[in-house]
Amino acid sequence: MNRVLTLADVGVTYGRGATAFAALQGINLDIASGEMTLLLGPSGSGKTSLLQVMGCLLRASCGSVQLFGQALARDVGAEAMAALRLAHIGFVFQHYNLFPTLKAWENVAVALDIKQVPRAQQREQALALLARLGLADRAGHYPSELSGGQKQRVAIARALAGAPRILLADEPTAALDGKTGQGVAAALHELAHREGVAVVVVSHDPRVEPFGDRVLHLEDGRLVDDSRPSRSSA
Amino acid sequence: MTEAAERVSGTSLLAWRNLSHDRARFVVTLVGVLFAVLLMGVELGLLLGFARTTSGLVDHTTADLWITPAGTTNVDIAGRLDERRRFEAMSVPGVAQVDRLMMQFAFWRKPDGGTESVSMVGFNLANGQGAPWNLVKGSIADLQQDDAVIIDTLYARKLGVTALGQTVEINNRRARVVGFTQGIRTFTQSPYVFTIHRNAQNFTFFRPDETTYLLVKLRPGADVEATRLALQARLGRVDVWRAADFAAQAQRYWLVTTGAGSALLLAALLGLVVGIVIVGQTLYATTVDRLPEYATLRAMGAPNRYLYAVILKQAAISAVFGFAGGMLMVWLVMLASAGSTVAVAMPPGLIGVLALLTAGMCALGALVSIRRVMRIDPTSVFQ
Ligand SMILES: Nc1ncnc2c1ncn2[C@@H]1O[C@H](COP(=O)(O)OP(=O)(O)OP(=O)(O)O)[C@@H](O)[C@H]1O
Ligand SMILES: [Mg+2]
Repeated sequence: MNRVLTLADVGVTYGRGATAFAALQGINLDIASGEMTLLLGPSGSGKTSLLQVMGCLLRASCGSVQLFGQALARDVGAEAMAALRLAHIGFVFQHYNLFPTLKAWENVAVALDIKQVPRAQQREQALALLARLGLADRAGHYPSELSGGQKQRVAIARALAGAPRILLADEPTAALDGKTGQGVAAALHELAHREGVAVVVVSHDPRVEPFGDRVLHLEDGRLVDDSRPSRSSA
Repeated sequence: MTEAAERVSGTSLLAWRNLSHDRARFVVTLVGVLFAVLLMGVELGLLLGFARTTSGLVDHTTADLWITPAGTTNVDIAGRLDERRRFEAMSVPGVAQVDRLMMQFAFWRKPDGGTESVSMVGFNLANGQGAPWNLVKGSIADLQQDDAVIIDTLYARKLGVTALGQTVEINNRRARVVGFTQGIRTFTQSPYVFTIHRNAQNFTFFRPDETTYLLVKLRPGADVEATRLALQARLGRVDVWRAADFAAQAQRYWLVTTGAGSALLLAALLGLVVGIVIVGQTLYATTVDRLPEYATLRAMGAPNRYLYAVILKQAAISAVFGFAGGMLMVWLVMLASAGSTVAVAMPPGLIGVLALLTAGMCALGALVSIRRVMRIDPTSVFQ
């Protein structure tokens, strides 16, 4: 399996001087394509911070981050980070973050538009992505007309616009009830195994755990465990 | 809408939906732009209308050069020139023809009593330099008669005249109205009263060898500036102007000395400022409401210019609709003012200027929002 993301001795410190706080320290980590990695840990342990570093949203304070073997420059600018996100990374958020004024397919189409997919193909591609997540019949609905699970699947479809190689999700099932959460977790698992996407999911949710190929444990900003539960099947 | 949305870009779609999902605020924006356009349009249109009025007489002659008494500052207030000057001017190489034009204030006694001040214009009937234009009733040829004058319908009431052939008194001499023009306005509030040169001399007590202006036509191919300088050198204590320069001087004189120009400009500027503030306020409120969405776009990897495009397109949509509404209102004002002594001028050039001002106004209004979005933190989507 390909390494898509490598973190070497990464640390993140918020603030400076007396109020400086080390949220992450000495993180060494490879993320591979084609599997779903779970990131677990107590509240405040640094899961979101780590996801942001992996997602080129947050600059590491120290250490190095490599994307497809290419090291990120220490002084990489905000626009360059945005360009990296655009090219390689899809995000799924706890609260979906759909555009409320746009229909489901338009939400996906905007992601395609940012990625400069020709306008004439946007609708067709958006509908195909929604269909892949079982939402073909909901494409014309506004987010306010969708259930939580449907919203999150629209968000996943939007994150998949332009076929990113990395999908990062922060608590994607936290706002969903039992079966729905499981459905979303299964969808993410399938993406990793069918499409070869590198999927990283931050979650407290025990329903998600069975779908993880690999489980990382964070505590106080340090990686304390990295295991592959044998029950996971490819 | 689905079909339409297929063809518009993501930024246009977001811009349009951002506006249409808060109709009340959008209406405020549009009303703001509309009134700014109305204010700017009417004030600048008035300014241009006044400018055209003050130089109307000069603009409606075909003379290349004007010879005026030394120190003349505008066409309405004139001194005296000796007829001799005309012969001197004719002897200058390049000069084809020199015509006299009389311009003098006079008192007009209405048929039913009461007095108004008027500006007598006396021109040479043979070649028509300084003749009235837009004649709607009567005939210019009738001015041959000793007491004949032509006035404008816009001032007929002010001058107490209701029909052709009515008699009045100008400087205590009998005068008879033989024609009406339409739309020859005056800035001085003393309406132009057209007659032939000899009559104007008689009405205003000028001697037969006196006039106020000499209008020069050049031979084809003659150098205008060289001839102007030659005339100035030959004639000495007079001013020799290119027609366009004299027209511009008249405009400057009236619009600057009366303060009308700066008052109108100030009002137009006020409209611009009000427009910028209203557009800026409403657009910013919408932007603040939508900050989480801008952060999401940024997290998704949208370049900053994508976010700016959404905001600028909102500004552009407001500009287009506000401008259309504003120009409609300006047009209504123009219709209403068509029959008045004050004209709102709206040539294509001014419409272009107003469009640019509106675009600039909305772009400036968008700047505050753009500055806010520029500082957006994409990690805020995880909170
Ligand atoms: N922008 C910030 N500025 C200062 N401190 C921060 C910032 N973001 C996070 N922190 C701190 O860093 C630590 C790790 O935060 P992080 O959000 O990564 O934790 P988390 O594991 O995702 O927690 P949770 O499970 O509650 O979401 C916390 O103590 C948090 O208070
Ligand atoms: Mg978190």
